[in-house]
Amino acid sequence: MAGRRERKTFTEKNLLIILVVMWVFLAIATGGNFSSWANITNLIRQSSINGVVAIGMTLIIITGGIDLSVGSIVGLSGMVFAIFTSTRGEFQFPTIVGILLALGISALIGLINAVAVHDGKVPAFIATLGMMTLVRGVVMYISGGRMVTAVPLEYRRFAVLEFLGIPALAWSWIILAAFMMLVLKYTKFGRNLYAIGSNEEAARLSGINIRLNMYSFYIVAALFSGIAGLMLGTRMAAGVPTGGSGYELDAIASVVIGGASLSGGVGTVLGTALGALIIQTIRNGGNLLGVDPFIMQMVIGAIIILAVFFDQFVKNRRKGEGRKRLFKRA
Amino acid sequence: MPEEKTVIELEGINKTFPAVKALDNVSLSVKSGEVRGLVGENGAGKSTLIKIITGAYTKDSGTMIFEGNEITRNSPLISKALGIYAVYQDVMVTPDLSVAENFFLGQQPKIGPFINWKKMYKESREFLENIGLDIDVRKSIKELSIAESEMITISKALWQKPRLVIFDEPTAVLTRNETKILFQIIDELKNQGTAVIYISHNLEEVFDICDTVTVLKDGATVGTYTTQELENVEKLIPLMVGRSIEEMYSKKDTEPGKELLRVENLSGERFENISFHVRAGEVVGFFGLVGAGRTEIARALFGADFLKEGKISVEGKDVSIKTPKDALMKGIGYLPEDRRKQGIFLQQDIDFNINIINFDKVMAGPIINYGKAHSQARDYIDKLSIKIGSIFQPVSELSGGNQQKVIIARWLCKNTDVLIFDEPTVGIDVGTKSEIYKLFGEILSSNKGIILISSYLPELMGMSDRIYVISNGRMAGEVDKKDFSEEFLLTLAMKNIVSREKVKEAV
Repeated sequence: MAGRRERKTFTEKNLLIILVVMWVFLAIATGGNFSSWANITNLIRQSSINGVVAIGMTLIIITGGIDLSVGSIVGLSGMVFAIFTSTRGEFQFPTIVGILLALGISALIGLINAVAVHDGKVPAFIATLGMMTLVRGVVMYISGGRMVTAVPLEYRRFAVLEFLGIPALAWSWIILAAFMMLVLKYTKFGRNLYAIGSNEEAARLSGINIRLNMYSFYIVAALFSGIAGLMLGTRMAAGVPTGGSGYELDAIASVVIGGASLSGGVGTVLGTALGALIIQTIRNGGNLLGVDPFIMQMVIGAIIILAVFFDQFVKNRRKGEGRKRLFKRA
Repeated sequence: MPEEKTVIELEGINKTFPAVKALDNVSLSVKSGEVRGLVGENGAGKSTLIKIITGAYTKDSGTMIFEGNEITRNSPLISKALGIYAVYQDVMVTPDLSVAENFFLGQQPKIGPFINWKKMYKESREFLENIGLDIDVRKSIKELSIAESEMITISKALWQKPRLVIFDEPTAVLTRNETKILFQIIDELKNQGTAVIYISHNLEEVFDICDTVTVLKDGATVGTYTTQELENVEKLIPLMVGRSIEEMYSKKDTEPGKELLRVENLSGERFENISFHVRAGEVVGFFGLVGAGRTEIARALFGADFLKEGKISVEGKDVSIKTPKDALMKGIGYLPEDRRKQGIFLQQDIDFNINIINFDKVMAGPIINYGKAHSQARDYIDKLSIKIGSIFQPVSELSGGNQQKVIIARWLCKNTDVLIFDEPTVGIDVGTKSEIYKLFGEILSSNKGIILISSYLPELMGMSDRIYVISNGRMAGEVDKKDFSEEFLLTLAMKNIVSREKVKEAV
């Protein structure tokens, strides 16, 4: 039965349909403004930073955990880079050194998260909630709460680079997402992620080194946040102390809309990418239609709930009981 | 003794699970003030019967009469309201509340709208002192030891003044002194005119405390006897087991080959000084009562649990096994007891479930060659004749028996030299069982060795070449095929259980 194969990508297909429907609707409703090349590339660029953070979040949510510290890591990474490379600062390191320092420190935060969650048995929600506050404190402290400007020129210019008419920031996201899709599907690292997320004890009894893998997942997730921090930095052309605040929520929303299960074992990078695009489409489209941004916020909130509701509904109906429960009165 | 009227009467109870007839026309009646032992092998239907009485399961047919009234609708709440109280091995009290609160749960004494803590503490303390338990009633249950919290569950039975109390393996975690208190509590219940059903694998204990014994076998009642007419445990055992070994356990006699695994003086958390060996072409059985330590030994050998000391050698070479990965590298595989919790990756598809430990064979550098991976999964699905739609079907859509076969496929594909099967046929229908046994033959013919852990004696005796008997964490004996008998194995399995004679004296 070849048809069985399709069920795996059931969520992705539906998301793609939803996205296309939204785009067609917006293209018509805005009289073509939405579908202009400039706006589409802008939309992808706007999605890209959240999109990259959400790739890391996908990994953590597949393990059955959650990472609230990603937004603060975005801020830390951008700030560390700015402080070490600013031409008005005391270090004035070359760009590449700044990038390595920013990513190194991000990875370190990921490692600490992993140790707290795996070895310390602190629930991921609590461990990363604490880390979110702690890291934001660090960002504020090292920057004195002020923007750090005068970052190297090539760093600033990255945000305006384009290739084949698509912004470099968007390319970064597309390449990273495609890379992680392949990693999750075609490497043991990826397969171990799903194994641990579905059943940690069974994974352990299958000879999978849980500690090593959990460390890797959290470090990789933090690295994605670190990269997103650098991407944000190039756009802002500075280190911003509040940079990345609240990004964890958009990332979680993208992953959840993308079909991942918060109880672990389920989720894909492609689904997450589509989830990120859907969120940004609502923002962007609402903007073009002149909808009150506060109302847009309500809509996004409602969509997160509906996405999970719909997902549960489909799952239950598959078991043949959801329909009865939902439409009892009908 | 107070009036001797019948408290509970079960008549012609039937219960069928998918593919398994759990209870076949079972009848049981217990009078007030009577302590009834309920014995039988694992799978005889004791738990199912109890769950029907407490309303956790619904019976397919038959009648249940409780104190003269027929109970047509039952549920755990209804049975509790009727005055049926069950003490299970796993503690049932609310762990975060204090001992006193657990006693008064749902009926706390109050002053106006406020709980009268003083009265609650005082009354529960006095109650526990009366029965000889020295436990701080202000402590929460989770601060107590397992035995202490079980004693609380047990003494709560006395506190609630029920009409029928069911004890399911109550002494497994208790010390001798606590067992003594338990027996006092049962005597007290008896005097109050409460009916008691007492389930235990420890037959000595059953003789100590019960007036009458009902024997269940393969879901049917063998009979009910007074302990006087039975006289002793030796006369009870044949009633429990005497069944011809079915033809399905048809292991061909094979000449054992070279030694694959040798274990010397293995000691861990729940066992000590375990030595054994496994040779090629041989099924080595492990028998013991529930909680004897068989699974713990297997898990420690496999590197899943902490091993205090001991020497493991594989094909003559000493090895160190600290993690399951080490064990796999040395050619030892383990199919866990609880496949749902420890074996299956429920959200994933069949292909994933088979390949997760077998990707090594199909790697092209760091990249998985899915063409090869899918075909090796299909090979083993065919080999085990697992009926599926496709290998991309979610494993959750399969029946329990087929899920177990998928896990077996996973390990057969891994091709380890020694494969440990821990209760491989629990919850599996007869047809699948015999297919699994047939696979044993295939594994053995390729010069592998099998360790079979099972509580089901016919299976163990039918499939094993030798059986090691574990009793209370220690090796009670090694039995060769020619000496297999259920009586002998059961006697060995009870060898190291603390003699209840002394308890009896103390009572």
